[in-house]
Amino acid sequence: MRASLFITCYNDTLYPETGRAVVRLLERLGVELEFHPRQTCCGQMHANTGFRSEAFSQATRFVSLYQNAETVVIPSSSCVAMIRDQYPGLFEELGNDELRRQLADLLPRVFELSEFLIDRLGVDDVGAYFPHRVTYHASCHGLRGLHLGDRPNRLLAKVRGLDLAPLPNLDRCCGFGGTFSVKNGDVSSAMLAVKLQDVVSTRAEFCTALDNSCLMHLGGAMHRQFAGMKTIHMAEILASTESDPAEGLA
Amino acid sequence: MSRGRANAAGGGHPVLDPALAPPFPVAALPVLRNSQLRKNVAHATDVIQAKRARVVAEKDDWQALRNAGAAIRDHVLENLGAYLEQFEERCTAAGGTVHWAADAAGARSIILEILRQEKAAEVIKIKTMTSAEIQLNPFLEAAGVKVFETDLAEIILQLGEEEPSHIVAPALHVNRSQVREIFARRMGLKDLSDDPQALTAAARNYLRRKFLDIPTAISGANFLIAETGSVAVVESEGNGRMCLTLPRALITLAGIEKVVPRFQDLEVMLQVLARSATGERMNPYTSLWTGVTPGDGPQRFHVVLLDNGRSGILARKTERQTLRCIRCAACMNACPVYRQTGGHAYGSVYPGPIGAILTPQLMQMHHAQSLPFASSLCGACYEVCPVKINIPEVLLELRSQVVNQERRQALRFFDPMYVGLRVANLLFSRAWLFHAAQRLGRIGLGFFTRGDGWIHSLPSVGAKWTQTRDLRGLPSQPFHAWWAERGRKPMKEAK
Amino acid sequence: MSAAANSRRQVLERIRAATPNSAGTAEQGASAWNALPRGYTRVGAMTADARIQRMMERLREYDAEVTECAPDELPAAISAQLAASGRLKFVAPPGTPPAWMVTAAWQIAGLEWNIDQCDAGHGLTTEEIEQAEGVVTAAFCGVADSGTIVLHHSATEGRRVLTLLPDWHLCILHSSQVVETLPEYFARCQQPPALVTWISGPSATADIEMTRIKGVHGPRFLNVILVRDLGDNKIQQ
Repeated sequence: MRASLFITCYNDTLYPETGRAVVRLLERLGVELEFHPRQTCCGQMHANTGFRSEAFSQATRFVSLYQNAETVVIPSSSCVAMIRDQYPGLFEELGNDELRRQLADLLPRVFELSEFLIDRLGVDDVGAYFPHRVTYHASCHGLRGLHLGDRPNRLLAKVRGLDLAPLPNLDRCCGFGGTFSVKNGDVSSAMLAVKLQDVVSTRAEFCTALDNSCLMHLGGAMHRQFAGMKTIHMAEILASTESDPAEGLA
Repeated sequence: MSRGRANAAGGGHPVLDPALAPPFPVAALPVLRNSQLRKNVAHATDVIQAKRARVVAEKDDWQALRNAGAAIRDHVLENLGAYLEQFEERCTAAGGTVHWAADAAGARSIILEILRQEKAAEVIKIKTMTSAEIQLNPFLEAAGVKVFETDLAEIILQLGEEEPSHIVAPALHVNRSQVREIFARRMGLKDLSDDPQALTAAARNYLRRKFLDIPTAISGANFLIAETGSVAVVESEGNGRMCLTLPRALITLAGIEKVVPRFQDLEVMLQVLARSATGERMNPYTSLWTGVTPGDGPQRFHVVLLDNGRSGILARKTERQTLRCIRCAACMNACPVYRQTGGHAYGSVYPGPIGAILTPQLMQMHHAQSLPFASSLCGACYEVCPVKINIPEVLLELRSQVVNQERRQALRFFDPMYVGLRVANLLFSRAWLFHAAQRLGRIGLGFFTRGDGWIHSLPSVGAKWTQTRDLRGLPSQPFHAWWAERGRKPMKEAK
Repeated sequence: MSAAANSRRQVLERIRAATPNSAGTAEQGASAWNALPRGYTRVGAMTADARIQRMMERLREYDAEVTECAPDELPAAISAQLAASGRLKFVAPPGTPPAWMVTAAWQIAGLEWNIDQCDAGHGLTTEEIEQAEGVVTAAFCGVADSGTIVLHHSATEGRRVLTLLPDWHLCILHSSQVVETLPEYFARCQQPPALVTWISGPSATADIEMTRIKGVHGPRFLNVILVRDLGDNKIQQ
């Protein structure tokens, strides 16, 4: 099984440890990983902020880079949602039939990380060990865009030592919303305050999610407030074993 | 919290006018500091959401109803002219008079003209957001017609000189003690308690004689039935039935998109509307009437069909779905942004998710351009919309229209957001540029990174982030560099 | 062209320009309308007994008072309801069966019936109806799923004002009139009625902090007599 890792622009820059964890995890599961050196961004930030023509060029670039990949795995549900939900409309608007064909051909081969594990590899027990109390935050793109359903929970349930504390009001948005977090920074912070009440109430040591974007927002506030809880991408939990624990915990 | 701005119609009453309202981020800030209002809004939306969830869960065919609802509405919109003409023909044959208003000013003057013909110095009204959209009340008051709202929420707003903050429960932002204070002051009821039962009884007494004595009424419409020329109004309190049956003359104001093809189509619309709007299987009263019925109800009946920008929305492929809306307000009950800001921050009688797409479009994108950005794109609205309006999809389309408008303006050339995004696009076009930018970024942001490895304060656009959040400093090695170091064979290039 | 005709033309022109694929007339749109997806429940699966039970349950959830009787017990049942109400001045639609009113008149001292003879030119005035303490009517249909009573305002159901002003409404609903789902009510309408009132409980508002408060402007009391005119063994669709 070969897979090409699309790390995403913000993970590459801000959360390389998530990428390293994905590599460790998938190689442990016998996946031969590739990494296209020319990858940059899927175009979501531009598309969601109204910069459509810029998003076109980034989307076109993505599709041409991954045309021949056997599978593409992406540790970010918002980026997968961008590709799955918005690329078709963008290419239709562009009116380029060749691109639309290439996209239609590529889409079934693009997977968010938990989809890749559960649907493509057919595993929910990845041999992980993470002896901590953890709460799972369902990002909106994963929940409503990708309909990830119970995949994240199935994966976490099989992590040995993990004490899963359910998050109240799970389906309520954390308030990140991409550039919304600064264009409507006050409202974003109000939504964040409300969300944090639920997160902190779980008394977990870690808040995890399949998107570092939400975690950057939640974790940034918890750090500011000395809240005593950290954030960690689920890839890092799943990659963690007894002999090889998650980075920063060793 | 009343606003004494003069409105377009020249009166001194408070109005929600998208042409004058401050941008959403500015309007939201004082509301975010109003903990009483946030509490009221959170409580109300939580209650309706829970009720809605219960009655929707009972329906095995809920998704099928949504599909049918969306399809019926799309079919009508696709053939809107044909169905409106049929409605006009049938309503007229049944004794009604149909008027067409191209815009708000046209609708206001048609209505005033009818009131003059009726020699009406007073009028009773059923709540209709469409009349708020055209700023009807201040216009009529200025013309010497006294308007009496009859919905409990509208009375609260009228007497309290407040503005509506929600489509279905317009006084949702007001709690019982605030209502008590308004009624005690304006109805002269010094010993009134704040028990909702007592407050409701006060409203009942206040209105009873008005219903019996005032011979002219104005209503909105939930649905216009093309096949029969009938009108349907959905309500809870009975004030609708009062206004629709007791007066001698009735004027119904309706947006052109309110039409459904056939009577039978109500079997879908009525099932989804009450469940979505108030979380009930059915609202207490729904009335349907056709033109004039001799001996029963008003003998003079007028329908005023309102365009006011709707035909413009109709013309646009992605945006047309906005007009499917049946005004249930489920979207605002589900919206995490609305939950924190309430409706007034949107500066429009149509707030929340539907307001964020409808309001700027009714303004032909000349105003309310901040509203499409007043969303984190979480999708909760789309999930609950009974007619499956993909609100996030329309928001994104409108955002790109706003950006296309704005980017041509000279002042945007230096706007940090515009500059940043243009630069980012350039950087994403070449991996080596992106990587160079990462190195520069590490150096630049290094100045802001404190000893704990985190950034606590940033300038410009970044300041809105660091207002409430820290940002972890950029790691010394991006992922791609780590991968390259592992000396893996580069993958075959796709070319 | 008058201003009114101008407006009409302007609006219709804009609409036509926006909908190039529009049917020319509503009739021409019929085949597309017929093809619309209707995968929702069109017919209920409950037995007659179950749906009668459901109807009564849902009515009671709205705080409507529900009693049952056999067809020959109806006049007595009406009389009992009127007596229990403590009220004396009632109005009734012109087509009300005299049998419904006879027993009560005989049993309750001071009872007054005012019939709204609107078709004979002796309709009650609004003030007279406002003075009434209660009204008794038939109904067209009951929808069990939502506990809804449907009035078509025929001679036995009365003009709309009759069931609006009095504070107490006694509605006579036959079990043969009860359907399970709303689409089944529409299927029962051979043609669309000109006037309909769908009643789902007494009037209520939720405008003060979302608490449902009964009794704003319509009748605060809704009583229903369910007449069992279907045999117990018959399973009616």
